[in-house]
Amino acid sequence: MAERGERKLKVVVLGGGTAGWSTAAALIRFLPHACDVHLVESAEIGIVGVGEATLPHIRFFVESLGIDEADFMRATHATFKLGIDFHDFGSIGTNYIHPFGSFGTELNGVPFLHYWLRMRAEGREDDLFAYSIANVMSAERRFAPPSTDPAAVESTYSYAYQFDATLFAPYLRDYSLARGVERTEGKVVEVEQHPETGDVRALRMESGERIEGDLFVDCSGFVSLLLGRTLGEEWEDWSGWLPCDRAVAMPCASPPGAIEPYTRATAMSAGWRWRIPLQHRVGNGYVYSSSHISDEAAADALVAAVEGKPMADPRVLKFRAGRRRRSWSKNVVAIGLASGFLEPLESTSIYLVQGAITQLIELFPVEGRIEEADRREFNRMVDLEYDRIRDFLILHYHATTRDDSDFWNHVRTMEVPDSLGEKIELWRRAGRVARYTQGLFLEPSWIAVYVGQGLLPEGWDQRADQLDGPALAGAMDRLRGRIADAVRAMPDHREFISRRNAAIEAAA
Amino acid sequence: MIPAGEARAIRSVGIVGGGIVGLSAAIAFARALPKARIGLLETSPDRAALADRLSGSLTSIHGFHRFLGLDEAALIASGAATYRLGTRFERWSADGETWHHAFGDYGRDADGGVSFHQLWARARRAGEAAGFDRYSAAALIAEAGRFVHPSNDPASPLSSYSYALRLDPDRYRQVLQAVAGSLPISRLQGELGGIERREDGGIEALRLADGRRLEADLYLDCAGPGAALLSKVDDRFEDWSEWLPCDRLLIASVPDPAGPSSCDTATATSIGWIGGAPLHGRKLVSLAYASSAAGEGKARRLLRTEAGAESAEAVEIRLGRRPEPWVRNVLAIGEAATAVDPLQGTNLHLAQSAIMRALGLLPGRDCHPLELSEYNRRNEEQMLRVRDFIALHYLRSGVQRGEFWKGLAGRTPPATLAHTLEQFERRGRLPFYENESFDRHAWLASLLGMGVMPGHIDPVAASVAPDQAKAALERMRQGLAPVAERLPPYRDYLAHIAAGAARAR
Repeated sequence: MAERGERKLKVVVLGGGTAGWSTAAALIRFLPHACDVHLVESAEIGIVGVGEATLPHIRFFVESLGIDEADFMRATHATFKLGIDFHDFGSIGTNYIHPFGSFGTELNGVPFLHYWLRMRAEGREDDLFAYSIANVMSAERRFAPPSTDPAAVESTYSYAYQFDATLFAPYLRDYSLARGVERTEGKVVEVEQHPETGDVRALRMESGERIEGDLFVDCSGFVSLLLGRTLGEEWEDWSGWLPCDRAVAMPCASPPGAIEPYTRATAMSAGWRWRIPLQHRVGNGYVYSSSHISDEAAADALVAAVEGKPMADPRVLKFRAGRRRRSWSKNVVAIGLASGFLEPLESTSIYLVQGAITQLIELFPVEGRIEEADRREFNRMVDLEYDRIRDFLILHYHATTRDDSDFWNHVRTMEVPDSLGEKIELWRRAGRVARYTQGLFLEPSWIAVYVGQGLLPEGWDQRADQLDGPALAGAMDRLRGRIADAVRAMPDHREFISRRNAAIEAAA
Repeated sequence: MIPAGEARAIRSVGIVGGGIVGLSAAIAFARALPKARIGLLETSPDRAALADRLSGSLTSIHGFHRFLGLDEAALIASGAATYRLGTRFERWSADGETWHHAFGDYGRDADGGVSFHQLWARARRAGEAAGFDRYSAAALIAEAGRFVHPSNDPASPLSSYSYALRLDPDRYRQVLQAVAGSLPISRLQGELGGIERREDGGIEALRLADGRRLEADLYLDCAGPGAALLSKVDDRFEDWSEWLPCDRLLIASVPDPAGPSSCDTATATSIGWIGGAPLHGRKLVSLAYASSAAGEGKARRLLRTEAGAESAEAVEIRLGRRPEPWVRNVLAIGEAATAVDPLQGTNLHLAQSAIMRALGLLPGRDCHPLELSEYNRRNEEQMLRVRDFIALHYLRSGVQRGEFWKGLAGRTPPATLAHTLEQFERRGRLPFYENESFDRHAWLASLLGMGVMPGHIDPVAASVAPDQAKAALERMRQGLAPVAERLPPYRDYLAHIAAGAARAR
């Protein structure tokens, strides 16, 4: 059996962005006895850093590293995020928040949604989103951490962060270096492979240095230097369903007043525009399809739309939707953009990075031997995540009545994957969400997008018809009241952050 | 105008099967759909319908009973149920050591994502850990012949386990009949004479042998393994005998002077295994065996010498499943859908799960294939993993002795079980599957109980030094060991609950 003191596996992480430093930090935290971690990064290669908005899973990642939330948020100028506010997706002039939380509470074992559908059919004019506390908090720009009491309505939401991605990687770099990760700065000029097995043996640097490793983690971004360029792992293209292939980004100064505890996504004529409020600035960007709009026109549209004073010139990024067939091949594991890309519509980039890291740790080579069974299992888990997120993203484009541009006409009328087509049909007929427990977007998320984008089911659970109408209406009114009261007692979002920062400064 | 809800709603349900499964389904549907007409055709029970005949249940029964409105204390008081903490497996391992499959946690995970069983396996190899079930509160309490309900206080060691019920099938059926009688369920005694089909292949009406007719929007086939309804609409059957090798069952009732106990037993024999379920004053015993390993005469002799059964009823069982239990307006529940042997007490559990799943996914009256396919998909996830779990006990038993066991270890497991075994036997990892009836602790109890050991410790767990792990294991064991001794004897606790129920009435 592998015991402590055995030869350690030499892990080389290529790339010093969010993916690279997250990987290094987690490996040194959980497997310090099993591996030496050496990270290679180049100052010449910038961080893509569109991943400023995150999902609630990041909290468990940060917490598992033993990082203090308040300190981390202060260092990365982070704000809280309760969901994403989608504008103009289902049709122009409509909006909804996809909240990190559930809608209402189950009654007699029947999900709340079905009571809402029934009452709506009986003429109750009522917004489903009023039954999501995260939604109401967002609208009022308030924030407080969720309650741990499962009976409290304040326990029915979760939250994530919006932070400065260019500060997140350095934060994890400091963490990693303090715990013994070795770092080399420089440019890789050659990748040395084993002549027979094709395994990567070493990276040769411009300086002449040769960095050997047993296992290579490719966090080199879109370049995918090891998995893509060196091993030639095949690319599976999804741009037919997700045609956006560029983004133009431009930060602006924060407006005074309340900070929105959510990310905004506004549909545009050839894609959509993000707005991510941080403590010190607001991140903006237009994600678009280059076959539907030129870079210049997209940049102009962005500049025309942003609020606040621009802090930099618009910068264009190129990408394409899809993934490598295998993320782990031979002794190379790709994490982050080197493995695949899904546009940031639902802030999944950092989540996919963390998910892959978790799997790598769980399937880390035993006794230093890389086994095909572990590679297969890793790839199975990565595929599962990608496929499910892909379908969910496509839904945002497809569930629309927009016919005001070629772009929207294309996504509205395109053939969707069978897996998604069946999900939509099941929803449309019966208000049911194909269920799984593993994976990112669960039932409430699907409900939010369906209902928010105007795709309402024809039927509902017939058990919802049993409660007496007026009694049900009373229960629904009371729930709305409880949510409103709870939110009124919460502090303003900006104030909550300022108070925490002040407390840290006072302690220091 | 008809409201959209009503146009879609199922207005009537026709259920076939007079046993526990049929009654459970009738009560559950009557509770969930008070506006629907529920008709129950109480046909005479199929002898091979094990969910109707045996005593097993899993911890999921509590939620099901709450839904039906069955009071646990009343069931205890009437003798229809007793508490069960698990099963003691005898001679069912390579070294012949006894082990417990008990409900709830085995050990406690260490900080930093380190699984208890990883540390245990390393210590065990070094000869420095007690049997895996020494770290299960339920196993220790069962062994000590004691019982209390688990605690709600997470700090208490009594919060780390759960329990199931052991049913006295005859008395339990009577309880269900009484409940069914109190609900607007129209009950028909008789036998199925024939089926009238709709144009689309679904069922239009059931004809009884005496000429009566039962018509409904939806039909539930709870008639046992023959699947009297579903088999007419879809007769495909997926055979699992390669992995679940028992095809015969002898069932008997024997006197049990030892009295009730919180543990069932499963004892490996040369031709199969003998199950023992102690009820009030008697014990339900069964011998599951393969006809290829022994004739009925030999099996009867074995049940007599091993369990004292002078006479027993012989039943043929055919294990496997119908791949799509819900086709058009016919839904098969219980053994009409999936038949497994009773080794882990899953027969009734699977029927109850199916009932709740059907209510949660109740389609429109037209039973659109898309709505049914979501039911069938979730159903399949659960059934295949239960098959895997039971198959594990045959394919990796470690038992050497006897014709029956020979060759089982060499059989190729189903792909999903092979996947679990590959990950576990090499590095002690259990891959995730959706909708499992048996959680991580249950898989570990059986794997490690039988002596299926991981070849290597997982790299994350290796961060804990062996000395440190050994000390932690020892503290855990010593903390748990005296807990059971302070609890009331099983029999006293049953009497106490029964007395409380009597007072409440």
